[in-house]
Amino acid sequence: MTHSGEYIRVRDLDVSYDGITPAVSALSMDVAEGEFAAVLGPSGCGKSTLLHAISGVVQPQSGTIEIAGLPVGAGRGDDSVPIGYVFQEHRLLPWRTVAQNIAIVLRAAGVADDDVDPRIDHYLEMLHISKFRNTWPLRLSGGQRQRVSIARALAIQPAVVLMDEPFSTLDEVTARVMRQQLADLWQRSNQTIVFVTHSIREALFLAGRIFILTQGPARLFDTIEVSVPRPRRYEDPRLTELEAQIVEHVMDEWGYGANSGEEPRE
Amino acid sequence: MTRSPETTQNLGARLRASWLDLALGALGAGLPVFLWWIGSHTTTFVPPIGEVIRAIPDFVTGEDIWPDVLVTIERVAGSLAIALILGFAAAYVMHRGGLWGRVVDRYVGLMLGVPSTIAALLALYVFKRSEVGVYFVVSIITFPFVALTLLQGLRSADRRLDEMGDVYRLSTPQRLRHVAVPHLVPYTFAAVRNEYAHAWKVVVLAELFAVNSGMGARFARAFDRFRIVDAMLWLIIFMIILLGTEYLLLLPSERRVLRWRGSGMEGNR
Ligand SMILES: Nc1ncnc2c1ncn2[C@@H]1O[C@H](COP(=O)(O)OP(=O)(O)OP(=O)(O)O)[C@@H](O)[C@H]1O
Ligand SMILES: [Mg+2]
Repeated sequence: MTHSGEYIRVRDLDVSYDGITPAVSALSMDVAEGEFAAVLGPSGCGKSTLLHAISGVVQPQSGTIEIAGLPVGAGRGDDSVPIGYVFQEHRLLPWRTVAQNIAIVLRAAGVADDDVDPRIDHYLEMLHISKFRNTWPLRLSGGQRQRVSIARALAIQPAVVLMDEPFSTLDEVTARVMRQQLADLWQRSNQTIVFVTHSIREALFLAGRIFILTQGPARLFDTIEVSVPRPRRYEDPRLTELEAQIVEHVMDEWGYGANSGEEPRE
Repeated sequence: MTRSPETTQNLGARLRASWLDLALGALGAGLPVFLWWIGSHTTTFVPPIGEVIRAIPDFVTGEDIWPDVLVTIERVAGSLAIALILGFAAAYVMHRGGLWGRVVDRYVGLMLGVPSTIAALLALYVFKRSEVGVYFVVSIITFPFVALTLLQGLRSADRRLDEMGDVYRLSTPQRLRHVAVPHLVPYTFAAVRNEYAHAWKVVVLAELFAVNSGMGARFARAFDRFRIVDAMLWLIIFMIILLGTEYLLLLPSERRVLRWRGSGMEGNR
């Protein structure tokens, strides 16, 4: 049996793309079922790599990853937990329209034919991109593509959603609307979300817990519980205060310390 | 389809571009005609343009040219289809690598270096004057080029889309239909367009030397009987069919199938 506190269980994870340079090193962390977890770390530290490993598209050198007690990775059986993944790059099929891109994953997830179109409509509307329903991805802006990718991940209503800086290409106003919607959606569901971001404020607004990583190769530096009650306001002074504390806290570790002459690793 | 307003605004620019295209095309087509004109005035064996043009109506309506035209088209299309299948198989084996991959790779490399005409003559010699010989020659000469283009397609497959397919658990048929095949379509078009003219030339060459039917054979017969006007007419028909199918059939269908790539005027990356 999996303890609910270890729904996503990462142990001693080592990932390297070339077998020599580590991208993630000895990283352990647990995400509870239904938790909204944010992952914060300096650029290039290995956040995307961590999500790749959790989704199973990258094989770790060593260490284990389990979701709901089942190992992830190639040959993930049909009984394994469905995952929606908003990749850092959109990864849409350029030769299929927005609606087709979503329809394909819905069919693969076993959604009944009659439900496919209403689902697509619902999520496109939610992300304010209904008018691009029949457009090809290459004709969309970066932010529009990103929202299609989010719609695709959410539309299959997966138990686990992995999001890699999903709002980073949006203007601040749209991003705020999207964050609010995501927070609402998460509260209504029992989804487990792992959300990678650069923005401390965004992490504080959305997450119940923030995993702070070290400079690359990523290890777990610290875990911060965000106890500000929901619904939260983006401008909440408590978030501002926490933000300042976190900046202070990570400064040294991320290579910007007063005594550290080192450049941060890219 | 969403139609953006820019599309209509771009129409003017596109029209201008197509006029320029047309003008350059006319210049390109005019040059050989001009050379022909000079030739007919300075030599005795080049017939005057006027004579050839006057012979066109009778030629295309009167004589029994169409069965031979159809036979040639059939051979081109048939052997090109075989070349596509062989080419894809070869590309796949090369892409997989291993011993067979290397064997096929060497073979394809070797074939690319053999002049088509010489290969055609040798193969026709081996196969005598048979229909099979024509198909064999054309597909064996063109498929290495097809293989090379398709191999490039297989090699440039976006692994990140495969990973997306892994995460969302696309079935094998879904992956083929939505990921692999659409990726290869542009390469297949490129291969067909490149090898189409090549196949025509080799088919006509084979017909010239080895069989009694088809446009090449008719051309040879006219030539042997010093019916130079007829020979010229066959040459013109050859060019019209070749260019006509390329510009009226292949290019438009390619453009239609690949319309997801955007118009190029809309700031695509
Ligand atoms: N496909 C790849 N092949 C080889 N090395 C890679 C690959 N992807 C990432 N890396 C390397 O792994 C390390 C971690 O990269 P990763 O993309 O996980 O960082 P990140 O934390 O997501 O950065 P960012 O915040 O800029 O997105 C980097 O040093 C990077 O150079
Ligand atoms: Mg990243």
